[in-house]
Amino acid sequence: MLSIETKSLKKSFGDVIAVNDISFSVKSGEIFGFLGPNGAGKSTTMMILTTLLKPTSGQALISEFDVTCDAKKVREHIGYVQQETTVDEYLTGRENLLLQAKLNHIPKNEIDLRIDEVLELIELSDKQNDSVVTYSGGMRKRLDIAGGLLHRPKVLFLDEPTVGLDIQTRRKIWEYIKKIHKEFDMTIFLSTHYMEEADSLCDRIGIIDGGEIQVIDSPENMKNAMGNEVISIIMDDTENKNLFLSELKKIEFTKNINEDGTKITLFVSNGTQVIPKIFQISSELKIKINTISLTRPTLDDVFLSYTGHEIRDDDSLFNRRREHAKMKRLRS
Amino acid sequence: MNSLMYDTYTIFWRELKRYKKSRSGVLIRLIQPAIWIIVVGNIFSGTQPLIQSVGFDGEYIEFMAPGVIILTAIFTSIFGGVNTLWDRRYGFMNKALTSPISRSAIALGKMSAISLIAALQASLILGIALAIGVTFPNLIMIVPIMAIVILFSLGFSGISVIVAATAKSQETFWGMINFLGMPLFMLSPALFPLELLPNWLAVVAKLNPVTYTVLLVRELMTGVSDGGIPILLSLGILFAFVIAMIGLASYVFTREVNKPF
Repeated sequence: MLSIETKSLKKSFGDVIAVNDISFSVKSGEIFGFLGPNGAGKSTTMMILTTLLKPTSGQALISEFDVTCDAKKVREHIGYVQQETTVDEYLTGRENLLLQAKLNHIPKNEIDLRIDEVLELIELSDKQNDSVVTYSGGMRKRLDIAGGLLHRPKVLFLDEPTVGLDIQTRRKIWEYIKKIHKEFDMTIFLSTHYMEEADSLCDRIGIIDGGEIQVIDSPENMKNAMGNEVISIIMDDTENKNLFLSELKKIEFTKNINEDGTKITLFVSNGTQVIPKIFQISSELKIKINTISLTRPTLDDVFLSYTGHEIRDDDSLFNRRREHAKMKRLRS
Repeated sequence: MNSLMYDTYTIFWRELKRYKKSRSGVLIRLIQPAIWIIVVGNIFSGTQPLIQSVGFDGEYIEFMAPGVIILTAIFTSIFGGVNTLWDRRYGFMNKALTSPISRSAIALGKMSAISLIAALQASLILGIALAIGVTFPNLIMIVPIMAIVILFSLGFSGISVIVAATAKSQETFWGMINFLGMPLFMLSPALFPLELLPNWLAVVAKLNPVTYTVLLVRELMTGVSDGGIPILLSLGILFAFVIAMIGLASYVFTREVNKPF
């Protein structure tokens, strides 16, 4: 069964197209991540899926309910944890959860039990009667996430769940998300601009940029599809270089070679097996290698290769498109 | 309907919780009306003959005390909606909007909380008035007076919620509220008898719901009616105003929060 399905979803604000013709689906129980820089259209998409915005055209379904015509039904099926922490500072942790429980129409006789349960899950039981003002950023975020879980939604939306948190806290939040996923078997849809986050949490990732989905796949497949690990060699001198290059090209896993002076860069698919072969060839040809390095592609490289720019707020669209074309050539 | 009541109560509960935790504000908000009743009440004490000419036999301060009670209600309730802007800015609104509660319930919950808070503030001013010597023909009248203040504040908080839902910024909100609040207070018989207002002003005042509320509270407090408007008519107009504001506020609020902020 599909938890989320969008068909040619589009949202424009005046002349600005925030989300352009997005179609994807998320299976029940999956953790699906939207990865993209600020302004890519992640939050807009999420706001459409959570019924906060109406799409300009196209359709979006949550648990088979349409977000425009059946908004109320959709709201009964979702939990939404926003990018900003939205807990009420003046209330205690427990009061915040009580409010959330009431907003989501949890039956009166179950409220206390559910609150105890999620407080335990996020390890805030001992702080529950303190005012949220005294909580740290990480604790507030945990409380926020707990609020989104309380009514056991079918689909949990997490908009940039760890933005602005330090790395330890971030890892802690990832643990909670994994725990939640295991314990409640929810579909989780999250957006992030952190590579490691998408990598460590998501079953599948959609890379979104400029309002369009560039690719959807599992993080592993994406990295493998890049095909190439990168081997950089620096030779002592350029003697016999052409012979060396032609021999290197014959290595089974080599996909592409760049050379520049004494530096040779190989894009290979099975780097650990290529390196011994390189040494074999070089000793046969009596070529002295100064340094050699093997780097694995990261999701950063994947992102770079699909969007033509690194993941950060960005310069002109024109430059991006040009870069994009360049990277496409490189990939093929 | 049942769920609308439940949802309204949820928001009402949340607003009151927040109010309770920010108690320091209570006293600060009392300062201004206290100044009105103590300072202005005494400055204008020389106007007693004028007041007496329309049938009041007490001091000026007794005449204007109902006006200051309503002043407190006006400003507490018209400022009360401002946290709607914070809620939209800091995400509580989105949280509520993505939950299954109805949009009207958010507006109504806020309005009922504001009106209770306004009544609370007004009752403190009533206490100050009693303390500085304003007398009541019958202390039991406090009950209907507070009921009227609650009702009136409920309607007036509707204005605040409408402005807050429409305004996109604090600046717009405060601009609009100041534009509305003071004139509505001034264009009423809060400080001066309706009968003694110049004709055109009296006409404007009669279009103002504040006028009827002041007249009602004044009649209950002093036992003297002003301007020859019967109690039932004033009460009818007040009820109509409140019902209209409830309808208008839920409509405008629902429409506005569905737009991106």
